[in-house]
Amino acid sequence: MNDDEDLSAPVTMEMRLSVNGIGYPITVDTRETLLDTLRERLDLTGAKKGCDHGQCGACTVLVDGRRVTSCLTLTVALDDREITTVEGLADGSVPHPLQTAFVRHDALQCGYCTPGQLCSAVGMLAEARAGWPSIVTADGGSVDARLDEAEIRERMSGNLCRCGAYVNIVAAIAEVAR
Amino acid sequence: MEFLRPASWAEALELKAEYPDAVPIQGGTDVMVEINFDLRRPARLLDLNPVAELSRWSTTGGVLRVGAGMTYTSLIRELSADLPGLAQASRTVGSPQIRNRGSVGGNLGAASPAGDSHPPLLAADAEIEVESRARGSRLIPATAFYQGVKRSALAPDELIRAFHVAPATGPQYFSKIGTRNAMVIAVCSFAIALHPRRRAVGTGIGSAAPTPRRAGAAEEYIAAELDWDSRAALDPRVVARFGELVAQAASPIDDVRGTADYRRHALGVLARRTLTWAWHEHMRERTTT
Amino acid sequence: MTTVAARAVGTEADRVEGLEKVTGRARYAFEHPIEDMVYAAPVPSVVARGEVIAVDVAEALTFPGVIDVLWHGNAPKLERVGNAELHVLQSPRVAYRGQYIAVVIAKTLEEAREAALRVGVEYAVERHDVGLRADHPRLYRPERVNPDLPADVQQGDPDTALAAAPVTVDAVYRTPAEHNNPMEPHATVARWDAEGLTLYDSTQGATSLRDAVAPLFGIEPSSVRVIAPHVGGGFGAKGEPHPPVVLAALAARRTGRPVKLAVTRQQMFSVTGYRTPTIQRVRLGAHPDGHLTAIVHDAVEQSSTIHEFAEQTTTPTRIMYAAPNRRTTHRLVRLDVPTPSWMRAPGEAPGMFALESAMDELAAACGLDPIELRIRNEPEVDPETGLPFSSRNLVACLRDGARRFGWADRDPAPGVRRRGRLLIGTGVAASTYPVYRSACQATARAEPGGIFTVRIAAADIGTGARTVLTQIAADVLRVPLGRVRVAIGDSALPRASLAGGSSGTASWGTAVTRACEALRDELDRRGGTPSTGVTVSVDTTEENGEPSRFARHAFGAQFAEVGVDRDTGEARVRRLLGVFAVGRVLNPKTARSQFIGGMTMGLSMALLEESVLDREFGDYLNHDLAQYHVAACADVPAVEAYWVEESDPHLNPMGSKGIGEIGIVGTAAAVANAVHHATGIRVRDLPIRLDKLLT
Repeated sequence: MNDDEDLSAPVTMEMRLSVNGIGYPITVDTRETLLDTLRERLDLTGAKKGCDHGQCGACTVLVDGRRVTSCLTLTVALDDREITTVEGLADGSVPHPLQTAFVRHDALQCGYCTPGQLCSAVGMLAEARAGWPSIVTADGGSVDARLDEAEIRERMSGNLCRCGAYVNIVAAIAEVAR
Repeated sequence: MEFLRPASWAEALELKAEYPDAVPIQGGTDVMVEINFDLRRPARLLDLNPVAELSRWSTTGGVLRVGAGMTYTSLIRELSADLPGLAQASRTVGSPQIRNRGSVGGNLGAASPAGDSHPPLLAADAEIEVESRARGSRLIPATAFYQGVKRSALAPDELIRAFHVAPATGPQYFSKIGTRNAMVIAVCSFAIALHPRRRAVGTGIGSAAPTPRRAGAAEEYIAAELDWDSRAALDPRVVARFGELVAQAASPIDDVRGTADYRRHALGVLARRTLTWAWHEHMRERTTT
Repeated sequence: MTTVAARAVGTEADRVEGLEKVTGRARYAFEHPIEDMVYAAPVPSVVARGEVIAVDVAEALTFPGVIDVLWHGNAPKLERVGNAELHVLQSPRVAYRGQYIAVVIAKTLEEAREAALRVGVEYAVERHDVGLRADHPRLYRPERVNPDLPADVQQGDPDTALAAAPVTVDAVYRTPAEHNNPMEPHATVARWDAEGLTLYDSTQGATSLRDAVAPLFGIEPSSVRVIAPHVGGGFGAKGEPHPPVVLAALAARRTGRPVKLAVTRQQMFSVTGYRTPTIQRVRLGAHPDGHLTAIVHDAVEQSSTIHEFAEQTTTPTRIMYAAPNRRTTHRLVRLDVPTPSWMRAPGEAPGMFALESAMDELAAACGLDPIELRIRNEPEVDPETGLPFSSRNLVACLRDGARRFGWADRDPAPGVRRRGRLLIGTGVAASTYPVYRSACQATARAEPGGIFTVRIAAADIGTGARTVLTQIAADVLRVPLGRVRVAIGDSALPRASLAGGSSGTASWGTAVTRACEALRDELDRRGGTPSTGVTVSVDTTEENGEPSRFARHAFGAQFAEVGVDRDTGEARVRRLLGVFAVGRVLNPKTARSQFIGGMTMGLSMALLEESVLDREFGDYLNHDLAQYHVAACADVPAVEAYWVEESDPHLNPMGSKGIGEIGIVGTAAAVANAVHHATGIRVRDLPIRLDKLLT
């Protein structure tokens, strides 16, 4: 019974959310995901909703430089974090090299998974530079030196693309990784 | 929904005692799915992220104590040498994004029979450290922790603080079968740990019973059959028998991911494979020392 | 008009909206900011058949933020139209599990979803029947199959010919229900105002959606505006209108507020269509040298009880191979299941899995190379109609593919190539897709500054339509690409056919060509662009209405190499290679993307995709992306697509055939044939799951 009362009353919290270097003072519903906050409150619609489930990667953003699925992240827990979305990848009017490479390699079709692919790729390149291994990394191998296509495919497998642009996505990332 | 943010472990225990219905959340990769899918509407969430100690590990008396909130990513980077089986399993969890957030503690809390970290924890004789304000802390052997599909030995007022496990003293391997190459929920999985000093073998079976479980008869059989001192190659008949015993230890069901018959068959394959890998490594190590 | 530009058609132009998409600026349906917006959360039925007796909205209405709850007792009345799927909240009947029976409208998404859980529904449950069987007592022959073809066709005496054939293949192939799963779930923002209804919707056809929705609300199409500048994939799922868009419009009408409704991934499995499962029997009769004497292809499919969707599964068999005696049939059963709809190459994709698997079996039975078997059965003319093919280069595709793939030294023996734990095999299959074209309108306008604008209510769902239409217009106008703007994705633009049947470029491109030609003539007549600019309009109804004297189809050849773990049965594709004959390729970059995209979906169809029906509850139980597997990046290694030169003057001004769907056709058969070559196991029911590959 008590629970029902708790359930029906939305609980809100005041907080400051830092996205792409801008601090947004907001009041959030504690049930709100980072994805919904970005899209519905801040009009940052680059991050996409695809599955509510962390299974498609379309909502991938960077939290303190690490890629996470924003649909599985509660906004209230992020008051001390720095969030980067696809809107924050470019350097002013100069697109990020990955953005340019995606267009040139036609690494997108419908474009809906693209912001997530890009944020994921940025995070992935940083992980590889830091020497993080993946399941296909041979033991003792230096990751960054050999970010070959098999490594990229494995490391980008958290981002589904139903249009089937994987081959071009891998080519675009490989070009930037070199 | 109330969002509770304890700043310390003590405060987290206080809150859990006061609100036993509060659902602990760390990476959110399990809890948030249930919320997003309307499977559960907790009145309160208990955010454990601010409790920094949960993301760290330490060694006491030769035993590792790994914080429940340590992400798979951190575990892979920092504990691959000490916990190779668990690190291998961690590399196959979900996607890179999930591994950046998800933790063994979350896997334990969810207690899904398909959780990837369970078989290596079982094989390595891990113990789960849980604690409540009222009764303090206790260590639960992994074998006693899993009690049913998504049910564990955790009491409503308890929180998972860490798991304890000895660093590997012998080869450890994990293998799983899935229908695709990534983001796979295991059709079935298997972990093995050789403990040459004790002349013992640990195993763990995933996705092939209501709970993750060990294959006790298989462990005893193979520990007795292995020629621990010599470099003798494995007898194929022994390997085959080990596979049979592992398969017999399972009680799988048919589901979307595979049939029960297939799971039993595949477990035998995984058992034979990981045993062979482990034994070859054991032989190599003997050769070099 | 003295400017002479380099020809744009045929060049690898980047997508014109590429930068918008990679920077996150491209707005999809749910992302159009509108003042005073509220959110809708639908309530789906939890029974598969029965009647809603009571809906208790009292508790939901007490929830904070809740504005209203609609159900059949209080929803605005809709006019009846042909497709009963669209009569949302009009009746207490429940035709399938997951059907929308109520909707909560609230100020925030969280509030709407919370309250939707609190709507109490009482049902009178009836026993449901959701099982498709080849011997179902209610099987019937549909009047026509999609798009408007006879259900059954027969020539000669196939039964006698089969009985007399020295070599025969008689096998049953099954394909499961599959869900399109575009990355963008269906979404609508609906707003009513003095001018009527505006829908920001994720749709493959702004004009056709407008024309479908207007009569439901008893208003003129001109009172409905559909806006869809970017669409996050569709693959057919956003072709026909589905219940969610109607529900959003109803909710907006009732509340007087703009309403946002996004279908959840889970709900998509019930209310946005899927590929029907099929049970197909293929019988082939042949001489020992492989020449076919008889082809019989029978298909059994399902539809829902409220709408007949009759897929054209066996129609590709009507044109593929020569044989004097032939029959193709379709039988349907109406079950208590969600309504199937279009999914990439509807008909061709499952149909060619069966036919091309059977051809592989026949090749083995005759001891012939599967490529040679197909070449021997190449027809001179369309076997069904006797019409000449406008162009048919299947043989060229097979030969070119064989050369590129390295087919020549292939040992046909199955199950003998080992590489470590893997058994390796290669397979081939043919591919085909018909040429469709629809009438459209378009305008072209010249501005004094030398900028040209072409307007047409086309859709770019990721195909690259916007880019290719820009290229087409630039060439006809003889100006550089940068001086042409193409406006699409809005029903306020000149009416256009939808993005379906691989007909977009042919249909829209014809209208764009004619509009730009007319504009060029007009500018020539006037001696330049007047200071106020000049606009011309065209309509291709007449041109499109001329019947063709040719059978027009695209063809292709698909090659696959697979590795199968002989202990676990895990099968993985190692490489795919496709060669296509599709008329003129207008943009090699985006065309290649269409081909490899289709082939990737074909790989996924072959190995992974299967919507599993829960007999007890009557709906698809693996209704999320963790359980309904589509290929991930790590599953897709080398995928190569090529095309042969094909000049065909009998198509359209561009000389192009459709390319959006042919890439998926034949892929699954090529993979299954490769799996057979690898293991000796013939998998006749998709997907090729690991447990089917254990001996």
